[in-house]
Amino acid sequence: MLTDLIHRLRALFARRTVEREIDEELRFHIERQAEAYERGGINRGEALRRARIDLGGLEQVKEEYRDALGVRLADELRWDLRLAARALAATPVVTSIVMLSLALVIGANTGVYSILNGLILRTLPVRDPARLVHVTDSVVTDGATRVRAWSYPAWDQIRQRTELFEASTAWSFVRFNLASGGEARLVDGMWADGGFFEALGVRAVIGRTFGIHDDQVNGGPNGPVAVISYGYWQREYGGAADVIGRTMRLTGVPFTIIGVTPQAFFGLEVGRTFDVIVPVRTEALIRDADSALDSASTNFLSIVARLRRDQSLESASAGLRHVQAEVRAATVGQWEKDTVDRYLTSPFTVVPAATGYSSLRRRYEGPLITIAVIVALVLLIGCVNVANLLLARAIGRRHEMSLRLALGATRWRIARQLLMESVLLSAAGAGLGLWFAAFIGPFLVRQLSTPTTVVFLDVSIDWRVLGFTLAIAAATSLLFGIAPALRASHVPPIDALKDHSRTTTESTRHRVMGWLVVVQVALSVILVVAAGLFIRSFIGLTNRPLGFEPDPVLVVVMDAQRTTAPPLERRPLYERAREAVRGLPGVADAAVSYLSPLGGGGFTPAVQIEHSGAPAVRVDREVFGNLVTAGWFTTYGTPVTVGRNFADDDRHGAPRVAIVNETFARELLGGDPIGRMITIFANTPRAISARVVGVSTDAIHGSPRERVPPTWYLPIAQFDVPEFPFPTARLSVRTSTEAPESLIRSIAAAIADVDPQLALTFRPLGSQLRASLTQDRLMAQLAGFLGALALVLATLGLYGVTSYAVTRRRTEIAIRLALGAAATRVAAQILTRVSILVGIGVAAGTAISLWASTLVGGLIYDLQPRDPATLVGAVLVLSCMAALAAWLPVRRAARMDPVAILRES
Amino acid sequence: MSDPRLELPQGTLDLLILKAVALEPQHGWAISERLRQISSATLQIRQGSLYPALHRLERRGWIKARWGASENNRRAKYYELTRKGHAQLEAETDAWRRLTAAISQVLETP
Repeated sequence: MLTDLIHRLRALFARRTVEREIDEELRFHIERQAEAYERGGINRGEALRRARIDLGGLEQVKEEYRDALGVRLADELRWDLRLAARALAATPVVTSIVMLSLALVIGANTGVYSILNGLILRTLPVRDPARLVHVTDSVVTDGATRVRAWSYPAWDQIRQRTELFEASTAWSFVRFNLASGGEARLVDGMWADGGFFEALGVRAVIGRTFGIHDDQVNGGPNGPVAVISYGYWQREYGGAADVIGRTMRLTGVPFTIIGVTPQAFFGLEVGRTFDVIVPVRTEALIRDADSALDSASTNFLSIVARLRRDQSLESASAGLRHVQAEVRAATVGQWEKDTVDRYLTSPFTVVPAATGYSSLRRRYEGPLITIAVIVALVLLIGCVNVANLLLARAIGRRHEMSLRLALGATRWRIARQLLMESVLLSAAGAGLGLWFAAFIGPFLVRQLSTPTTVVFLDVSIDWRVLGFTLAIAAATSLLFGIAPALRASHVPPIDALKDHSRTTTESTRHRVMGWLVVVQVALSVILVVAAGLFIRSFIGLTNRPLGFEPDPVLVVVMDAQRTTAPPLERRPLYERAREAVRGLPGVADAAVSYLSPLGGGGFTPAVQIEHSGAPAVRVDREVFGNLVTAGWFTTYGTPVTVGRNFADDDRHGAPRVAIVNETFARELLGGDPIGRMITIFANTPRAISARVVGVSTDAIHGSPRERVPPTWYLPIAQFDVPEFPFPTARLSVRTSTEAPESLIRSIAAAIADVDPQLALTFRPLGSQLRASLTQDRLMAQLAGFLGALALVLATLGLYGVTSYAVTRRRTEIAIRLALGAAATRVAAQILTRVSILVGIGVAAGTAISLWASTLVGGLIYDLQPRDPATLVGAVLVLSCMAALAAWLPVRRAARMDPVAILRES
Repeated sequence: MSDPRLELPQGTLDLLILKAVALEPQHGWAISERLRQISSATLQIRQGSLYPALHRLERRGWIKARWGASENNRRAKYYELTRKGHAQLEAETDAWRRLTAAISQVLETP
């Protein structure tokens, strides 16, 4: 097989060499044969003649030889290729437009596919990723893998049971601060178990990775060590080889850099990367009193295991369940009874981890697939245009084709030549498209990044992407090449005898073009509907009432872990910072809080509500809480509509008070909130009860997309729970300027006066809000752009088809006009035909949209997926564009001068 | 068709060529000479048909060609049997023997 292929390719590409070799070999034969005759006494001339006769005629043998070589097919293909190239070069403008538009759509498809590939299909850059599994304790629920985090004590139990897997390891993301106080310089870090690199089979490119002996609370024999990523090494150290042995201070603790990971290794979460990895037990060194290593309640580690070669998912899960009781019993925390029960019984299980875990994937899988479908539809519309164009051209060359048929060319030969043109076009389009894709993929990925989360995704072109591009190029060339090829090869040879026949095949040609118009219009309706839905949904989202005014607010994350203040002194420290900032010029108000809106994280302890005369009832839905100081509601511009606001004297010792939001008051307190008691952490030693004194307007918490949950607020000073050391707190500052960023410097200085060791991160709330809508904005922009593109392509296609039809029927129209037909009547006739086609297309497109729009329901807010306004709008827009596209050529037809036309033909 | 020699049955030229190059690498003319010397009395082989046949065998991977110097120091294309070709030669020889044996048996049965 292989030798055969090599010979054929050689015949195709090394044509001249092959030809010379044939010649040389046959000459040698004749020479030797002649010599043999000469030895027999025959003179040289006669000997050569006889030798040639023996061989059977040099040229004839050569021809047979070429056949055997497979050279003839290659010859013909080369000839077709040259003809096709010449035909395309004859119309350079059309050819380059077609090529460029193909390159754009193929590039867009490849770019989107390369992201899908990087996000969903690619396996992790570690040794033998197929044998990696996530260890989790919840069963797959909604089709996607939910990987639960583990506490360190639980991981420690699993780690010690080495018989469970070939190897296992645990890791977690963490942000480290490089600065030792004041404004934070954050790096993306990872905690990793000592066996991390060994289990994954990742080696250092320079230096070494860390091992179990390095994973000690105070560091191993070399003290605390750190491994940095290739990207960080290049960015921060310029790739210096002497980086090994240097010291970096992570949140105040000096670590020695011992190695650099390979360039391809981004960790285990697709969509994110890290700058530095340190052994997980050094967490105790960095977090000191706040360490989570001994806490059964802090779940922060992901556990990944490598199966033995003979181990199946089932047997690994079974092994885990076998030790579940021991592991759980050894790591129970001080929890409510239901929590303990759930903890003891939720089953251990393993799920495949070859492609890693990815929150980015969970979030963008739906939107990306939607975009992939949309760009595929645009590709189809583009193909239809090209098909129409080639079809028109093939018809224009019918005379030439029928002449060739009459002269004996086979139909296959003629079809092949036209197919070759399509192949050339799509090959050029695909080549250029790959080049575009190399920009489109990274560009889209950059759009996904926000100031706080940088998305890192490997979207480079690999064999899978290349295969995809080749496949769509092949598919497109067939799609738009086959119709013209069939058409042209079915021209009756007799047509060659007629002069410029335009009768026999006219109707079928029109039928094909007509159907292409229908397809195009239908596809465009779908895309315009999609664009409308995403744009309206995005506008709806940005107009949603937030419940606060984001633009003047600057959120400062204060981290007290590296200060000398003991945990109980931290809240007073935060409040002193608040006082210092409130006195600054340009600051209207400020408040300290545990959480801030859009700041990530949630505080959702169980809430119990007392109803007069009845026993307290536990609320069985998720209720959000926040701990704030006085000034919170004025800082955010969230009005307290009923009762009173928090005051500065709502502190430790005074009666505990609470403010709830309107949803809480309406849905949980029956509209009668003031004076009611609510209790959090009920039935535990930490239980805290407070009396409701006010109701605030609903304000969003995690994202503008979600419904506002019932929410309570307690004064942070009255929250006396010793287990809450408040390692960090938020200081929200309401500025009286337009740009809250301009106050960063003075705020940082004011807080440094209070305690220079407080680590600070500044987040303007307005930009956080915009970042939280990244996905929706991107969807609206992409869908809008692609919808507009589809509309333009379809309009162009329709215009092309109509004007072509008009041109072909010029003579007929001219005769009718000359015989006295009204121009309007002629125009109406053509327009009727076009309207029928557009009508069918619009109807089909609307029907498909009605069905397809429910598929994107999850990506749309404040809007029914079958939003009637969007549908009607799309139909109207399309009909108008279609009317314009059809009317222009028809008007030209109605205005033409019949005499001039008739004289011409 | 006054030539008293037999036309070569379809497909047997390949077998004869394989046999001719089995011992050592040969160039085209030598192969044709060898076939002529051994069988000229009975078989009619057109020299011209040799080359397409050689190439077919080469494409199937049964023989391979390389350029070398001939006896009188001219560049000539030499063909030699590959490992696959050896196996093929044995298989075909065996098949041919069984075929002819079977046919003779049928013909000689009274």
